[in-house]
Amino acid sequence: MPKILITGVAGGQGRLVARLAATSGFEVCGVDREPMMAFSDGTPIRVYVVDLMRRKFEDVVRHERPDAVVHLAFVRHFRTDLATRHKINVAGTKLLLDYCAEYGVRQLVVVSSAYAYGALPENPSYMHEDFPLNVSRTYPEVRDIAEVDTLCSAFLWQHPEVRTAILRPVNTLGDSVHSAIGTYLKQRFVPSILGFDPMMQFLHEEDLARAILTSVERKLRGIFNVAGPGAIPLHVAIEEAGGTQVPLPEVALRPTLQRLFRLGLYPVPPGAIDFIKFPCTVSDEQFRATTGFQPQWTLRDIFTRFRHERERAAA
Amino acid sequence: MDPARHLHPIPARAGARGRLKAADAAAAPPPETRRPLDSGVEWLLDAMRSVAPGALADIDAEVDAKLGRLSVSQNEFGYDPWGFSPTAFRNPLALMALLYRYYFRVELEGAHNFPAGRVLVIANHAGQLPLDGAMLITGSILDVQPPRLLRAMAEYWMQTLPFIGTFGSRIGSVAGTPQNCEDLLRRDEAVIAFPEGVRGLNKTWGKRYQLQRFGLGFMRLALATDTPILPAVVVGSEEQAPAFANLAPLARLIGAPAFPITPTFPFLGPLGLLPLPVKYRVSFGEPLHFTGNPHDEDAVIGGFVDRVRREMAAMIERRLRARSGVFF
Repeated sequence: MPKILITGVAGGQGRLVARLAATSGFEVCGVDREPMMAFSDGTPIRVYVVDLMRRKFEDVVRHERPDAVVHLAFVRHFRTDLATRHKINVAGTKLLLDYCAEYGVRQLVVVSSAYAYGALPENPSYMHEDFPLNVSRTYPEVRDIAEVDTLCSAFLWQHPEVRTAILRPVNTLGDSVHSAIGTYLKQRFVPSILGFDPMMQFLHEEDLARAILTSVERKLRGIFNVAGPGAIPLHVAIEEAGGTQVPLPEVALRPTLQRLFRLGLYPVPPGAIDFIKFPCTVSDEQFRATTGFQPQWTLRDIFTRFRHERERAAA
Repeated sequence: MDPARHLHPIPARAGARGRLKAADAAAAPPPETRRPLDSGVEWLLDAMRSVAPGALADIDAEVDAKLGRLSVSQNEFGYDPWGFSPTAFRNPLALMALLYRYYFRVELEGAHNFPAGRVLVIANHAGQLPLDGAMLITGSILDVQPPRLLRAMAEYWMQTLPFIGTFGSRIGSVAGTPQNCEDLLRRDEAVIAFPEGVRGLNKTWGKRYQLQRFGLGFMRLALATDTPILPAVVVGSEEQAPAFANLAPLARLIGAPAFPITPTFPFLGPLGLLPLPVKYRVSFGEPLHFTGNPHDEDAVIGGFVDRVRREMAAMIERRLRARSGVFF
């Protein structure tokens, strides 16, 4: 039975991948900084509570000798300070890559993000994988996303013996993932920028889990956008999510968010505004053509579920 | 021809319903929240309805009939992959049709030259505001059989303007990047580009009807995607807002591509943006087919581009000589 190691296994996406892998005939182990609740249905999994930056993590890889590694251990929020976030994401990934090369891992799947391209007015509507990673131009707080991606791309070419797939999924929604876009859309009153309504793509967390596992099973090598069922304008997403859009002029919004973020009163830095102003949409032509992947959740399904969960939480 | 080369994966994403007539979906989705610009357009239309009910009834009927015959791919929320929405397009199109029929009284020639399938419409650009583009888009829906949606390649600058950029997307324009153009052509859409760009749009009165330098990008894309080029010219737009000068430093200061001084702008404020009621004469030429290496040197590509440019210059010359006046 092939063995799969999942980093960041206790997170929402990690649990989904772990369960899917276990039911698809993999022996599953995982690492996370936080302890993980066992699956209620008894799906077998070995979890090590360990920090990627600690010596003990290398011991885990040496001891487990996984055939495949899925790398999901990233800090995506801003509750930790930026320097620590950067260190965990970039230095942590570097260590993981070293261990993969050293301990004979044959397949690595890194879950990067389509945010790496950045949201810029001159973006084409469907960016392909060779498009430059521009996110740090307008949103330097998340430059670690582009740096991790670049680090892994270099590894992909330097270590052909480790088949490496870098996935760049779009906005991911679902019951278990905690994404910035999910938090944004869950607000009762959703601020947006007056006069801007970019197209946005959404992917369901279960489809992302399937995309990750498909990449492992198909021994995928390369860089792939994962785009989900399609694109809708921001205002449709807000309405479908059950919120009320509050368009505010940018001149007021940007400095206000800057101040609130500095005071710790708003969860994302003002650079994130560009993602509700300009498009950051991608083509997943390559991923679909290479793997035959089709998302099972339609946009309608994703948002119906989102609204349902929101009403359940409110009740 | 291998059918697979038309199968760009984006259409697969367009939703289970695939390509359908715009009218089907126009009826289906719930009315979207009114945007200020949409409300403005609707207010104008309503105002016109009370002033000239007969004309508006004709326009409404024609626009709805033509939109119903427009083939559009869209998802379950009524948007195509680039953000075009037939529902959002309906009223702006009615307003443009009003301008087309009653303000500029467009005389369109060569509609039968419009080929089926992918096509790159190359047009001259003039008149400070891109109304020539709007009239070409309108003409391709009202006077071309079957109606075709021209996807305009917009200046990046447009995307940075509140309302304008979004409005552009809803009526079918896209950020003018080569990738967008190629994606649209591979899906057999009709794309319109103005290779003179702002050099043509914002030129001063002394340079009227002189085609400015053409960019070469469109020809490389046409060669790469095996797309015929449909030369189009607009005569009349040059006189709609004659500019004495272009204050380039002021334009740079506000980040705009140009700051023209016309008899009415900026002296009359926003009212000064109104174009003069000139008569538009529009021609579609015969499609031009080019074959060659899209990555060839500029000198080679420039030679192809010159052929398009010469053809357009001859078409402009013909329409200019034949016209009886600027306003009639």
